[in-house]
Amino acid sequence: METISLNLLIKHAPSAIAIVDTKLNYINYSDQWLNNFTSNKIDIGGQHLLDASIELPKPLIETLVSCFQGNEDINEGEKFILPSGNVKWLKWKISPLKKKDGTVSRLLVYLEDITKDRREIELLQKAESVARVGGWEVDLTKNTIYWTKTTRQIHEVDESFLPDLEQGINFYKKGIHREKITELVSAAIEQGKPWDTELIIVTAKGNEVWVRAKGETEMVNGKCVRIFGTFQDINERKQSDLKYNKVSERLKIATNTATIGIWEYDIKNNALVWDNSMYKLYGIDKSEFSGVFDAWESTVHPEDKELGKSAIEMAISGVKDFNTEFRIILPNGKIKNIKAIAKTERDSEGKATKMIGANWDISELRKAELKLEKYEESFLDTFENSATGMALVALDGSWIKVNNSLCTSLGYTEKEFLRLTFQDITHPKDLNTDLELLNDVINNKRESYQLEKRYFHKKGHIVYVILTVTVVRKINGEISHFVSQVLDITKRIEAENKMQSLVEVTKSQNASLMNFAHIVSHNLRSHSTNLNMLTSFLAQEEDEKERDNLNGMMTNAAESLSETIAHLNEVVQVKTGTLENLKRVSVLNTLIRIQKSIGGLFEKQDATLDIEVSKLHFVHAVPAYLDSIFLNILTNALKYRSPDRTPAIKIKSIINEDKVLISFKDNGQGIDLDRHGDKIFGMYKTFHKHKDSKGIGLFITKNQIEAMNGSIGIESKVNEGTTIHIELKQA
Amino acid sequence: MNKVRICCIIDDDPIFIYGTKRIMKEVSFSDTIFEYYNGQEALEGLSEISESGEPMPEVIFLDLNMPIMNGWEFLEEFDKLPIHSEKKIIIYIVSSSVDPRDLERVKDFRQVDNYILKPITPNDLAAVLVATKM
Repeated sequence: METISLNLLIKHAPSAIAIVDTKLNYINYSDQWLNNFTSNKIDIGGQHLLDASIELPKPLIETLVSCFQGNEDINEGEKFILPSGNVKWLKWKISPLKKKDGTVSRLLVYLEDITKDRREIELLQKAESVARVGGWEVDLTKNTIYWTKTTRQIHEVDESFLPDLEQGINFYKKGIHREKITELVSAAIEQGKPWDTELIIVTAKGNEVWVRAKGETEMVNGKCVRIFGTFQDINERKQSDLKYNKVSERLKIATNTATIGIWEYDIKNNALVWDNSMYKLYGIDKSEFSGVFDAWESTVHPEDKELGKSAIEMAISGVKDFNTEFRIILPNGKIKNIKAIAKTERDSEGKATKMIGANWDISELRKAELKLEKYEESFLDTFENSATGMALVALDGSWIKVNNSLCTSLGYTEKEFLRLTFQDITHPKDLNTDLELLNDVINNKRESYQLEKRYFHKKGHIVYVILTVTVVRKINGEISHFVSQVLDITKRIEAENKMQSLVEVTKSQNASLMNFAHIVSHNLRSHSTNLNMLTSFLAQEEDEKERDNLNGMMTNAAESLSETIAHLNEVVQVKTGTLENLKRVSVLNTLIRIQKSIGGLFEKQDATLDIEVSKLHFVHAVPAYLDSIFLNILTNALKYRSPDRTPAIKIKSIINEDKVLISFKDNGQGIDLDRHGDKIFGMYKTFHKHKDSKGIGLFITKNQIEAMNGSIGIESKVNEGTTIHIELKQA
Repeated sequence: MNKVRICCIIDDDPIFIYGTKRIMKEVSFSDTIFEYYNGQEALEGLSEISESGEPMPEVIFLDLNMPIMNGWEFLEEFDKLPIHSEKKIIIYIVSSSVDPRDLERVKDFRQVDNYILKPITPNDLAAVLVATKM
């Protein structure tokens, strides 16, 4: 009976209770036990604890065994990790039941699964530490304070720290923070008012930390007995809040200053909001418009309205980011270029919900760009159409771009140019000067230079130019490239050269005319003075014999005068109208004819004539002049023969470029060229004591040759012979 | 009027020499007249006279345009001769040339005293006489 009633009592106990024997076989158990600690929930009587129970931690089994020694074991709750990996919190009390002899035959086991409760506490603590939310409580009746672990951590005090109310308040930063908390706590105590505030505390280690302090009161009979609350570390959030505030304040200042307007378009509610800068930018008054969209539409340039709208539509549909430009017309009629960009926000389904954008004024930029474009256009226009050769040249001298004029001047195509450097086609004699000047530019000694230089045309001939080189710099001051202007002055130089040679000819003709005039005046004067003098003598002379003498002299003088006039006439004829009468004349044929005509002279002096002249040598000449020239030279050679040698004359001709060189070499007396060199071809110059010397032959010869654009030269050694060289244009 | 003891005419024109000598006779210009037909002859003749120690002419009338050796060349060569004469020999250029270059060139020869344009007149000779006595 006693056993039955005990069994019943156990069975219906409100807790999980079991009785086991020394072999740990169930003797008795409560329904709770069956429910909580068996898996089958069917009768387990007589079965072994380990067989008939859910998984139990090993320490419990060991404790059970040890309790047969007679000791009671109480566990207030412990966390076990079971071999299966599950976590179990268990609480137990094990009481040995002794027999009369004192030996333990059974154990009464009270077991409670507290996993669920403990897990919640654990979570709470975790949450508290993760969220850095601590709890606290002030018992005003006992004036004690309780801080949770996290609260202590926030204050940076150790675990054993036990503050009172005043100490707690003193953690708040001196000044407004401490005053504020004092005020709030006082109000709570006096009026039961809860609080929620954000203040700075100074931790035990001296760090300033932003905290959110919340407090509530418990009132008993209108008297506050307890205040409790939470205490949260919000330092990071607060700091970033403050930072964010600072940044957004700065942004606000920046956008205000730069007049960057910010707008926000709530797509879902079709609402557009502008900040003040937008109104300022658009130059309109907020109050004048019913809605922002009206304001926008009324200012946008009619031509750009559609563009703006479609840009927004495309941004919403996701085709293209909003990044556009449009014009607005201000109330004062001025037109502004507006740059607009925006970001589109989307919900989780990708649907556009909101656009946030910025507008700013780019009128100046546009204007500058337009100006630049115009400059570039006009530069390119000038470049392409300039009559002057123009080129862009790289630092190393290679051509980057050339215009048509330059191509025409130098004969290269643009393609060919781009494979060359200016050094490649510059006349070597002008290259150093050009490079030196260029170096001056590179070394910042000058910004530009100009020089007259020569290039080689593709065909090889020289092109004369005036080159002007200007440097083009990048924004950072480094040299980007050079602009070269190449003025082709070849024609001018050629004309100059032609003119120069004309001037030379005129000069020499002038000199020769001047000379001639003096010769004429001298010669005519000599004869006329002689005649005058003789006439006056004749008038006074009475002696017959002397009169005859005077008459004879007068006749001589008159003859000389007429001879001189004849010579002068000859010279004048040579000097006029020669070039029109030039013909193609065979050198050899002329020589042969002359040889025949003076054959008698040669025979008389036993002289030899050796002609080595090609049949093919023809010259541009007046035939009569050529006859006279050859005749004169040959007779001179005979006239001034050496008394010691038989005259031997050798005539040779060779071709030199477009000229025929004819040389007459004799073995005569020769002439001292050091003494007479400059006068050899002068009029009335004679150098030998020869009765036939008139000093007119070589003078006329020279004039004739020069009149035919030829030249004459002489080589001679006294007592060896003379060589006369004649150069005439080949025909 | 005092005469010049010896004078010398260097000219290739026989008519000029004849005329000049005739005028000299008329004005009793000189006792003795040397004549040479070009510079070369004159140079050789005068240097022979100088070497032999015979009296040199006091005045020389020199033509410019002559064959073989003209007046300029003569002046250059004559300057180099070692002349043994107690008096400076006065040299007159006598020419038909009115070429200013010739007149200019005369100034380069310090031994030339003056330039007489042909023909020589009695007045010219009178002036020469005055110059020789100074």
